[in-house]
Amino acid sequence: MSDVTETESAPIADTVDNPVSGIDQTAGNFSYKVDYEFDAGTGLSEKTVRYISTVKKEAPWILEFRLNALKQFLAKPMPTHWATKDLENINFDKIRYYLSSGQKPKRTWEEVPDDIKKTFERLGVPEHERKFLAGVEAQFDSEAAYSNIKDIVSKQGVIFVNSTEGLREHPELFRKFFGKVIPTGDNKFSALNSAVFSGGSFIYVPKGVKVAQPLQAYFRINAENFGQFERTLIIADEGAEVTYMEGCTAPKFSTSTLHSAVVELVALKGAKIQYITVQNWANNVFNLVTKRGVAHEEAEIKWIDCNIGSRLTMKYPGVVLKGRKARGEVISIALANDGQHQDTGAKMIHAADETTSNIVAKSISVGQGRSTYRGVVHIPKHLKGCKNNTECDALLINSNSRTDTYPAITVRGERNSVQHEASVSKVSEEQIFYMQQRGLTEGQAMSLSVNGFINDLARQFPMEYSVELKRLIDLEMEGSVG
Amino acid sequence: MSAPSLTLADPAIGSFTPELFAAHLASVSHLPAWWLDRKREAWARFLALPLPKRTDESWRFATLTGLKLDGYTLPPAVTPAGLGHAPIGIAKAGKLVFANNRLVAQEPISAELTKQGVIFETLQHALLKHGDLVKAHLLAQPPKQGSEKFSALHTALLADGAFVYLPKGVEIALPLAVFHYAAGAGAAVFPHTLVIAEPGTKATVVDFFRSAGDGAHFACGRNDLYASHGAALTYVAAQNWSRATLSFQSNSTVARRDARVLALNLHLGGRQSRHESHSQLQAPGAHSEMLALTVAHGTQEFDQRTLQIHQAPHTSSNLLYKNALLGSAKTIFSGLIVVDPDAQKTDAYQSNRNLMLSDDAEANSLPGLEIQANDVRCTHGATSSRIDAEQEFYLQARGIPKADADELLTFGFFEEVLSKLDHAPLHDALIGLIKIKFNPPV
Amino acid sequence: MSQLEIKDLHVSIGEKQIVKGLSLTVRSGEVHAIMGPNGTGKSTLAKAVAGHPSYTITSGDVLLDGKSVLPMQPDERARAGLFLAFQYPSEIPGVSIANFLRAAVQARLGEGEELDATGYYKRLYSKMDLLQIDRKFTSRAINDGFSGGEKKRCEILQMAMLEPKFALMDETDSGLDIDALRIVADGVNALRSTNLGVLMITHYQRLLGYIVPDHVHVMWDGRIVKSGDKSLALELEAKGYDWVKNELIPA
Repeated sequence: MSDVTETESAPIADTVDNPVSGIDQTAGNFSYKVDYEFDAGTGLSEKTVRYISTVKKEAPWILEFRLNALKQFLAKPMPTHWATKDLENINFDKIRYYLSSGQKPKRTWEEVPDDIKKTFERLGVPEHERKFLAGVEAQFDSEAAYSNIKDIVSKQGVIFVNSTEGLREHPELFRKFFGKVIPTGDNKFSALNSAVFSGGSFIYVPKGVKVAQPLQAYFRINAENFGQFERTLIIADEGAEVTYMEGCTAPKFSTSTLHSAVVELVALKGAKIQYITVQNWANNVFNLVTKRGVAHEEAEIKWIDCNIGSRLTMKYPGVVLKGRKARGEVISIALANDGQHQDTGAKMIHAADETTSNIVAKSISVGQGRSTYRGVVHIPKHLKGCKNNTECDALLINSNSRTDTYPAITVRGERNSVQHEASVSKVSEEQIFYMQQRGLTEGQAMSLSVNGFINDLARQFPMEYSVELKRLIDLEMEGSVG
Repeated sequence: MSAPSLTLADPAIGSFTPELFAAHLASVSHLPAWWLDRKREAWARFLALPLPKRTDESWRFATLTGLKLDGYTLPPAVTPAGLGHAPIGIAKAGKLVFANNRLVAQEPISAELTKQGVIFETLQHALLKHGDLVKAHLLAQPPKQGSEKFSALHTALLADGAFVYLPKGVEIALPLAVFHYAAGAGAAVFPHTLVIAEPGTKATVVDFFRSAGDGAHFACGRNDLYASHGAALTYVAAQNWSRATLSFQSNSTVARRDARVLALNLHLGGRQSRHESHSQLQAPGAHSEMLALTVAHGTQEFDQRTLQIHQAPHTSSNLLYKNALLGSAKTIFSGLIVVDPDAQKTDAYQSNRNLMLSDDAEANSLPGLEIQANDVRCTHGATSSRIDAEQEFYLQARGIPKADADELLTFGFFEEVLSKLDHAPLHDALIGLIKIKFNPPV
Repeated sequence: MSQLEIKDLHVSIGEKQIVKGLSLTVRSGEVHAIMGPNGTGKSTLAKAVAGHPSYTITSGDVLLDGKSVLPMQPDERARAGLFLAFQYPSEIPGVSIANFLRAAVQARLGEGEELDATGYYKRLYSKMDLLQIDRKFTSRAINDGFSGGEKKRCEILQMAMLEPKFALMDETDSGLDIDALRIVADGVNALRSTNLGVLMITHYQRLLGYIVPDHVHVMWDGRIVKSGDKSLALELEAKGYDWVKNELIPA
């Protein structure tokens, strides 16, 4: 395969109109005009993949990796034998696989384009938090648009860059772990991501370093028919500790959009990684994400995951418990409103003695919303002292709301134990009546009740997230009664 | 049986060739035409349907390589003497004994019950004498849990079985017992029990599935339970095929208004046993109690799939499936509670408990829910663990040796299921069967 | 005359040392009480003597009539004459008390010896009457859904049936109301004899008003820090555990 150079490939974008021209910008909640400098056009082919790799000035092995992934993506069937048929409504030819507002990630607040700052304003990022944006890695479309915390943590030897930069500047480290936790062919969408990924974070925390402040990133989708395929790789070396937070908001557009990220975590001996997500995609987004971590001896990986928006979310954060006494945890909140399907869950793969895992999933279905829990707990060979505890609770708000639970648990041997419990219930009429008797409206009472349902999990989110969560739930519960 | 053929058999049909079907059809040509038509349709379905595939969700975790259909034959008649029939030691209201798809012995019900209109006889007789009744209920519920192919094979090759009809208001205190035997090498049997319980009836029907000898048998059974308004039906199946048997069994339960059906399946035998159980709660007040106990030993595989469908408001179901795993046995429990959109006030429970008694055994649990109504109470749970160490210590601290303590605790584990039977002799008979499995006679 | 001798016992759970060199001798006919605040190692002592697998004896010994019980399995220790009345008795669904007690009594018979069922039930019912336990009780599963008082009475019933040489009674008074306490205490007092030694573990003096001990020991941080007669319990009640902390612990 010949090397692809930047000059060799004429930007396909030249033949493509500005994706947002002609669109009524006022229709979207959070949209604004953007001039895209690079654009891979719509549709997916080898040409698209080569274009992306060229624009990103990638090493040949990455292009090869991408092309191999493309083959796997095309060869794999849609997993509709177990997943929803709604997947068939994704038109891959209409997706825009790459665009960037510029190749160079922004480093200081001053360098961040005004348009982006304006978006943050529209997103309602509070003033104090904007100051805290010194600690925010925000992804603007495909590329990280803002990155400053780097300076703070780099003093500790922490690498915190976008994945493009990570590949370019730390190829040895990156390559060692990249695609190892989630192989390209893990599923159709991990293959897709592997073919067209751009953006996302690369983090390396050196031995024994405990990163005090959470590293943050905002991701957004911001153009019609525009998919986002970020790729995040976090490595916590022995005894290191790090918390990563990502929040997603998206402008509302009328046609479907695709978000398909891959997030890989590696916690080496005794390391701790906590990965927090609050997802609130627009109602037309297919959010098909593969997230998995490997926890080595005595390491701990915790996924805290909250899914509120999107048309369809399929996301099952997993932990491979590879070393003795490794711990894995998934805390998940899902809220499905009309027209939404939250198909979420967790995977715990026990591969060493005395590993423990814990899954707590709570879902709320509002109106015709559908929430699905899917889980895998696997304790295969002759392990001993492994434990899993799973708890899923579903709350159904309206008479036509729907919930499903599909766990799969395999245990071998007599020295391990698993426990799975699930319940489905509705909001207690007694509770609502009690609160109404004290003067609350039914909607307020419902909101309080729903917030109570997830309260023990919401408390595990950082303060600003849990406050936002409460606000979002209040919004979602508006109009659910009556 | 004919000499081994040199031509490669189609693995999707194995021994069940068109010639075999033709011979079977000829043997039942005296039965009503509608039934023969159904059998032909079923045969066509069997031929058309593929064997289960790796990607079939309804066969997840099952060992598909074990589902070989060759090496079997429709076995010749045997005499009751050749069965080594072991009595179960309970008083019965009536008994039918089938061996190799034929009736070989029976104890008819009392004249008084007959006078009340109770029917307890063979399916062949019922097909000839009560055609309309049979037609309405026999195999009336299409399979939905993955065994469509085997269910079609059952319909195609079903020769005879038990027919139970309980006219309105009749209560029978003693159980009606049905024995289904397979005897001789490669015997393929297709047991069936059809129970129609009219309004306000109460009865207990027990199926015993047994092998004469330890040959490799093929058992492909189904049963149909229909409980009309206010009927209280207890159904017990004690499966004890030979350890070389490949078994498919599919149970269908329909519960109408205020009907209560309790079905308890005891799984002991077979090399690989697939069991599907499908309960439909069709009218308010209907209740289904779905119970199972499995003792999995050696390299046995037990694959149990359950479906609780709540089709009407104010219905309830309660499922408790317990497996004890020894040796390098494997169990699969896959359960699904479905609550239809209008089935408000559903109360459904599903629980799978696996007791791991060996370090090589493997338990798989797939407890599922699909809920489309909000005013419901639905919970499920699944656990897999060894004997509770604190309980074991407690018993040991009273001077009971560890092995005895473990046995007490294991039978205590079963008791939660068995205690739901309010028929002491039957309860004890089942414990007797389990004890034999734990301590086989030398 | 039997003797239970605990010698310089050290017990740990995992890495953590709980009992740190405790010595005590109980003879037949004696009632000893060990008092101490929560977390001082009282229950650990009882469980370790009974042979609970989670507790590791790191040094020291427990001798029953001069013979170490440490190499013995829990059931062997029980049959040798040790009885532990649990603070939190296990609930065992599916195993009836009748079956369980019969298995326990049977286990004490020699090889090939059969239980005399008539005699067994006669004895069982008389003990149940003594403890004011309904006869229907025996068909219930062990402790399954029992109230706190029922559980403790069930423990004493087992003690009565199994006739141990030494009874270790772990917080037998906890969770009992005054009536249940009196019934349990009466039961224990009825069993007091020259053939039985009792080691009562308790947080409060309350129980000792009903079952009067011959010796009282104060336990603190894994050791016995003071021993005396029954007046020590009253002194402790009056002065509180702060007294122990401030005056009995060598700085």
